[in-house]
Amino acid sequence: MSANEGWIGRRVQRREDLPLIQGKGRFAADLTMPDMVHMAVLRSPHAHARLLGVDTSKARELPGVFDVLTSADLDGIGEFPVLWQLPGQKASGIPVLARDKVRYVGEPVAAVVAVSRYVAEDALELIEADYDPLPTVVDVESALKAGAPVINEAWGDNVAIRHIVPGIDATGKAGDIDGAFAAADAVVKARFKINRFSGVPLETRGLVASHDPLTHGLTLWSSSQVAHKQRTQLASVLGVPESSIRVMTPNLGGGFGVKWDCYPEDALVCLFSQRLQRPVKWIEDRREHLMGTVHAREQVQELEAAVARDGTILGIRGKIWADLGAHIHSVGIGPAWVTGVSLTGQYRIKNYYCEVIGVATNKVPSSTFRGFGGPEATFATERLIEKAARAVGLDPAEVRRKNFIQPDEFPWFSAGGGVFDSGNYPAALEKALEEVDYDHLREEQAGLRAKGVYRGIGIGCYIHTSGFGPSFILGLVGYNTSGYEGSSIKVDPQGGITIYTGMIPLGQGTETTLAQVAADQFGVDFNDVRVVWGDTSQTPYTGFGSAGSRSNVAAAAILKAAEVVRDKSIRIGAHLLEAAPEDVVYENGGVQVKGSPEKRLTLGDVAKAAYLAHNLPKGELPTLEGTYVYDPAMFTIAFGCHVAVVDVDLETGEVKIVRYVVVDDSGTIINPLLVEGQIQGGVAMGLGGALLEEFVYDENGQLLTTSFMDYLLPSIHEVPHMELHQQVTVSPHTPGGFKGMGEAGMFSPGAALANAVSDALLPFGVEVDRMPITSNLVWSLLPKS
Amino acid sequence: MKPPSFAYEAPEALDDALALLDRHGDDAKVLAGGQSLVPLLNFRLARPARLIDINGVPGLASISERDGTISIGAMTRQRTIETSPLVASRAPLLAAATRWIGHPPIRTRGTIGGSLAHNDPSGEYPAVLLALDAQVRIRSQRGERVLGIDAFLGEWLSTALGPDELVIAVEIPIGSKHATYGFAEVAKRHGDFALAGVAARFTLDGSHIGDARIVAFGGVARATRLTAAEDAIRGRVPNETLFGEANRAATAAIDPISDLHATGEYRRHLTGVLVVRALRQAFGEA
Ligand SMILES: Cc1cc2nc3c(=O)[nH]c(=O)nc-3n(C[C@H](O)[C@H](O)[C@H](O)COP(=O)(O)OP(=O)(O)OC[C@H]3O[C@@H](n4cnc5c(N)ncnc54)[C@H](O)[C@@H]3O)c2cc1C
Repeated sequence: MSANEGWIGRRVQRREDLPLIQGKGRFAADLTMPDMVHMAVLRSPHAHARLLGVDTSKARELPGVFDVLTSADLDGIGEFPVLWQLPGQKASGIPVLARDKVRYVGEPVAAVVAVSRYVAEDALELIEADYDPLPTVVDVESALKAGAPVINEAWGDNVAIRHIVPGIDATGKAGDIDGAFAAADAVVKARFKINRFSGVPLETRGLVASHDPLTHGLTLWSSSQVAHKQRTQLASVLGVPESSIRVMTPNLGGGFGVKWDCYPEDALVCLFSQRLQRPVKWIEDRREHLMGTVHAREQVQELEAAVARDGTILGIRGKIWADLGAHIHSVGIGPAWVTGVSLTGQYRIKNYYCEVIGVATNKVPSSTFRGFGGPEATFATERLIEKAARAVGLDPAEVRRKNFIQPDEFPWFSAGGGVFDSGNYPAALEKALEEVDYDHLREEQAGLRAKGVYRGIGIGCYIHTSGFGPSFILGLVGYNTSGYEGSSIKVDPQGGITIYTGMIPLGQGTETTLAQVAADQFGVDFNDVRVVWGDTSQTPYTGFGSAGSRSNVAAAAILKAAEVVRDKSIRIGAHLLEAAPEDVVYENGGVQVKGSPEKRLTLGDVAKAAYLAHNLPKGELPTLEGTYVYDPAMFTIAFGCHVAVVDVDLETGEVKIVRYVVVDDSGTIINPLLVEGQIQGGVAMGLGGALLEEFVYDENGQLLTTSFMDYLLPSIHEVPHMELHQQVTVSPHTPGGFKGMGEAGMFSPGAALANAVSDALLPFGVEVDRMPITSNLVWSLLPKS
Repeated sequence: MKPPSFAYEAPEALDDALALLDRHGDDAKVLAGGQSLVPLLNFRLARPARLIDINGVPGLASISERDGTISIGAMTRQRTIETSPLVASRAPLLAAATRWIGHPPIRTRGTIGGSLAHNDPSGEYPAVLLALDAQVRIRSQRGERVLGIDAFLGEWLSTALGPDELVIAVEIPIGSKHATYGFAEVAKRHGDFALAGVAARFTLDGSHIGDARIVAFGGVARATRLTAAEDAIRGRVPNETLFGEANRAATAAIDPISDLHATGEYRRHLTGVLVVRALRQAFGEA
């Protein structure tokens, strides 16, 4: 192996960092253009009202205002479609501007373009929108009541879908859920509430649209996670050919899924730019982000588990109500569906039944966010396991051991219909318990209690379905998108390597990891590989778009594209070396005749010949490049285990995290440094949702958390030191054995903390079944003496 | 989140600032550290026609001791107060409480005058200054007046300040050598406004508690003295039973609001717990 090999697995520093920390990054907000004008959006102050009319005449007269749009100006403009149309889900779409009715506080009603954002906001105050307020529904319980106000009249009620997930085995045969409950020694029941929270990236959304009269084309600089999908959707909404739109993404300051979606503003800046023939900029402010960008997670779950005396979980059944907000957003009830098929977790639970009910409320639409339904399932499953253990008098760790799918049982067909590729769940748990010194903690616990220290130990095991997903499966579930990633590799005439990826780096270090993968394939220095991203006119179409856990798919595409290029180098090299291609190998950054290292050409030599094309093998085309589109063969299932150790202050209800141990297994690791960063960030985000974050509405549907004073993200003070441990179980399905890892950290914090706090307060019978676990909540659960 | 347009003045002498306030007071706002005012402007919750920036006015940012009083200029930054040796030795309660205000960048801009004039009911300074029985020195073109802190503080962000008046300084009596204090609060995150907090100052009379000033803040209309708790402990020997009495007296006396961050019931309970914690800080685990 040469010094240039083995980039995969190295702790390479992120190549993105230097310019970013020097302030040389270029974000949407940094972009400026001649004649550029600025957009501001009028948002509904009502949660539910008829929109009787919008008078923009005064706003138009304000000096500095160029243009105003309301829904009346949008004839011929479509709605943003729902991409994931699970069979049975009612029809819906997202209007660019509200027409006839507003359905949540923050819904765009009109938009203004002016010489500056200041003037544009002044103009918003001059728009007179006439509302006739309607009664509101702000939670699933009231939305389902008979006679509840109906948000989308065409539906007849507020139910978007009732979807049943029957437990099945590998042959599709249903389990015996009633039998499981009849045979149970104990049944544990719970009602869980998962809070409404979401991705709140440091950088809000940002757009600059520029209509080019020369090409009749539109260029959109966008903070989108998924430029190609945005282009496809914009073309359909605007009714223009997709080829006339170019989407470019500058640096992104985080995305977390919420920048995967398309939004009304995306279309508005384009429309204004077409109308005005000027560049139009819109930078979302924080208030708009909190009330205009998708929320996520909110669910009510009523579940029960059938437990045998020895701790075996015989079955799980129940219902999940997903609070979808006012519109079915792009992924429909997708996240809740993922929850609904995932509640058996990493356990051999064969009898299963779950009903998923999507419910509309007068709130911001709910959609994609790091974890995508998985953390909601993890919370429920891991709380049920804990309750099951208490019910039959066993240690929670023991009950997990008893029920784990074993390493030799893969591929495993889960009762929810998933195929698990590989795993070693017991090893992850044992490693976490050993690192935290579980037995010692348990011994210590009683003594501490006697001293008034209420210490709790909470386990949260998780599986994370990544590499979403084989396109044919997306088709089967009505998901109108695809799962592949494309990658092109071009070797220039000097032998320099450039990768073109449809992935968009959101801050995970994608450029670094993809360059590492390619460097190994060509036996060159990592620094000699350039990565081009973020421009639909240059990069290959990507079906799904970028998510934190997609680098496995993109990496596989690079492996395959590199193979194409290497094969071509071998053919051309063999020709030049006057050898048979079978006798030539690619090694150490060049081609050579097997067994004769002196008969060798560097990649540069081959590239030069490939471009000159003076002497190529018969039938070989000039230049040296290759493209591969990798559609995942199967999902990859990453997994791991978190253990939280907490102290609970009985007087105030405050929870202090004493230790936090993570064991993660995401298959082959490309860069351990970046994996640690992703896990730390994921855990921090998970802890935020578990302890602090929540979008709160009052009974009239007013959003109360519209600034960082009220929507509380964890800060450096709240995020504990994490003890991170890595395990590797490769995926048999991906070339390279990669699994996705960017979301994994997010899955278990809620479960681990709820279990830990419940464990600490076991003497009082306290069960923490909802998030966020605030001090007020904990105190309210304690008996008042 | 952009403010409506406003005129901006940056006087370089106190008299000029007062003259501007005299002329424009009704539709002007003083700009000090901007940590409360600027967000209000950006949310268009405050819409003054004119800002009078007093950051360039000399003589408003000193800390000095005279005649048994610590005088702190209105423009003194919270961070300066936090790190002042004089404050640490003469008004340690103020130093201790300052660390609970926001975060270092905020304290580096935020001023004591701004905190007082803004009078957030969950802010530390109004409560601490009430516990310390401070005086507020106020000036306008009409002249100067000194108000006791209790008379200065109004309910829900209001104060006794007239539109033409400027807070010049806060004066804190150093008082007895035999004094002790306690400060405790619960916030959702480090640096957030308090869900509930207690600032207390006591004097010692031999082994007995002498004077007691116990102030609750957070979720109440303004920093509020818990007089029933004070009465319950004044002249008594500090011990846990007594602290328990103070807890009960405190919780019986206040009725905090419920909002998205906490219920009134929880805040009331916390106030009692924090009274006990402040007492323990002052007198040890008795
Ligand atoms: C993220 C964050 C966290 C914070 N956390 C806390 C906290 O935990 N506890 C806390 O107490 N505060 C907190 N604050 C508020 C902070 O302490 C403010 O600095 C303070 O409330 C106001 O001081 P200022 O100098 O910034 O005043 P400004 O914002 O400039 O002014 C506030 C008000 O006072 C008036 N004013 C200012 N100076 C004078 C004067 N000399 N005479 C007359 N009127 C005057 C202004 O006109 C305005 O109405 C926080 C602020 C932020 C941004």
